[in-house]
Amino acid sequence: MNGQLDQSLIEQVKQALRTVVDPELGFNIFDLGLIYEVTADTTGTVHVQMTTTTRGCPATGYLQEGACNAVKQISQVVAVEVDLVYDPPWTPEKMSPAAKLHLGMDEGWGQ
Amino acid sequence: MAGVTLSRWTMAYFAMALLALLAAEVLMTAGYGYPQVPVGAPATLVLVHLVVLGWLSLLLCGAMFQFVPVLVAKPLYSMWLCLPVLGLLVAGLIMLLSGFLSLGGVIEPVLPFFALASGLLVAGFVLVLWDIGLTLWNARPLALPARFIVIGIASLAATVSFGAIFALLLGGVAGGFTISRLLVYGLPLHVIAGLAGWLTLTAMGVSYRLLAMFMLAPEQERVSSRAAFWLGTAALAVVVFGGSAAIVMNRAPWWMLLVGALLGLAAVALYVHDMMHLYHARKRRKIELNSTMAMVALAFLVAVALLIVVLLGMGQLTHHIAAVVFLGAFGWLSGLGLAMLYKIVPFLTWLECYGPVLGKGVTPRVQDLVEERRARKWFVLYFLGILGALATLLLGASIGFRIAAALMLVATVGIIVQLVRARRLDDVPSSVRFPAGSHRPRLLMALIQPR
Repeated sequence: MNGQLDQSLIEQVKQALRTVVDPELGFNIFDLGLIYEVTADTTGTVHVQMTTTTRGCPATGYLQEGACNAVKQISQVVAVEVDLVYDPPWTPEKMSPAAKLHLGMDEGWGQ
Repeated sequence: MAGVTLSRWTMAYFAMALLALLAAEVLMTAGYGYPQVPVGAPATLVLVHLVVLGWLSLLLCGAMFQFVPVLVAKPLYSMWLCLPVLGLLVAGLIMLLSGFLSLGGVIEPVLPFFALASGLLVAGFVLVLWDIGLTLWNARPLALPARFIVIGIASLAATVSFGAIFALLLGGVAGGFTISRLLVYGLPLHVIAGLAGWLTLTAMGVSYRLLAMFMLAPEQERVSSRAAFWLGTAALAVVVFGGSAAIVMNRAPWWMLLVGALLGLAAVALYVHDMMHLYHARKRRKIELNSTMAMVALAFLVAVALLIVVLLGMGQLTHHIAAVVFLGAFGWLSGLGLAMLYKIVPFLTWLECYGPVLGKGVTPRVQDLVEERRARKWFVLYFLGILGALATLLLGASIGFRIAAALMLVATVGIIVQLVRARRLDDVPSSVRFPAGSHRPRLLMALIQPR
């Protein structure tokens, strides 16, 4: 990052990532907890760290590129980099309450 | 691009496999093969190989070329081999069926059918072993699901070896006392290595991973899973190596089969226990139709195990062995195969059609490609047909078997129509069917767009 963190742009990036839907779970990748970190600076450079529900999933590349496409739609964004990470691995507990509700995942279910 | 890429020919494998299943069900409905004629009659052999080679093996090969890379998170060793393998296996199957038809006097032996079948099928399966084997080798150390597949493809090698010897014997190319004894006593070894080793162990390995993935269940390597793996491996080793040794030493392999059966039953019990654990520990409470139907197929595996135990206790296993094989091939393996197809076909279609435009606009979900309520009734009819067919086989009512086979045929057609609709995006709401940049997929071949 060259400039200072731009909180307003970070919020816009998060909203943009909410438009990318995981095809298998049918919910957006942000609320599914697949986005681990978003940073954006005042020069318009965005860095996203994300994961997938399963390592090796055939959808991985599409999700990574989908996240990149969605962020590029923001006019202030000059450059975007989306990295895939698997440490820590994704678990269903990372989902937001809305995503859990969508999948019928009650608190305590399957404990 | 990160992740595993789409296999271009998976849909062609699935289409050929489904065609073979339909052909087998049409023949059963028409009264061709067992129970109208004996188990060893050429007509029955046509039917059996149409199911296990044409339907189940092609289905599994197509699925493995796509999903073994997912299991091990490594690319397939050679994507290029998929089409030649399909050609070799289909040509080999046609030669084998022609050989059985000539054996039954239906067609003239205008070609050395069995020798050609042996060469083509061995070549095709050796390439499968090479491609999948090297993919697994490059992914060492392997997790438990992939180790099941290692034993599965080792069993495939044993099945094909026995099958090639039988084909050469039937074609008059090979002979000799020991090899001729193999034809008499080796048939159970060929069947067990194929159905229990190649098809069942591979399906078990894949289901450990895929069902956990689809139901959002924890993917832990449990003690019971490892025990299921070692017991299954031991069962196959006893049957294949012990059984072969017994035949070579001029003894019947029945003791080896009994020990193998006991070890195999213990492996199945642990596997079923693990699947039930996955089901109860799942985070996704509302599971999809494919997972529900996979559980029904699992119940049929339990039924196979119970039937073996009951028939062994009654001393009737040999008499009803056809019913046991039918239940395993159609209730467990075909049931699981159809259930998984109902997930895999829409999923791969989604990736092909909507993956490239993700993040650029509104895209449908995978579930938007299917209409579960419509498909459910065909699955229910299919499994009812299986139960009816099993009852008629046990009671010896061959007309009833044909009626049950007709129900299975109608149900299979119904399921195939759903798969074609998913592939053609017919059930996707028109507002999101073709976002800018997307295209209608071809029925039999994945169009992988350059990136």
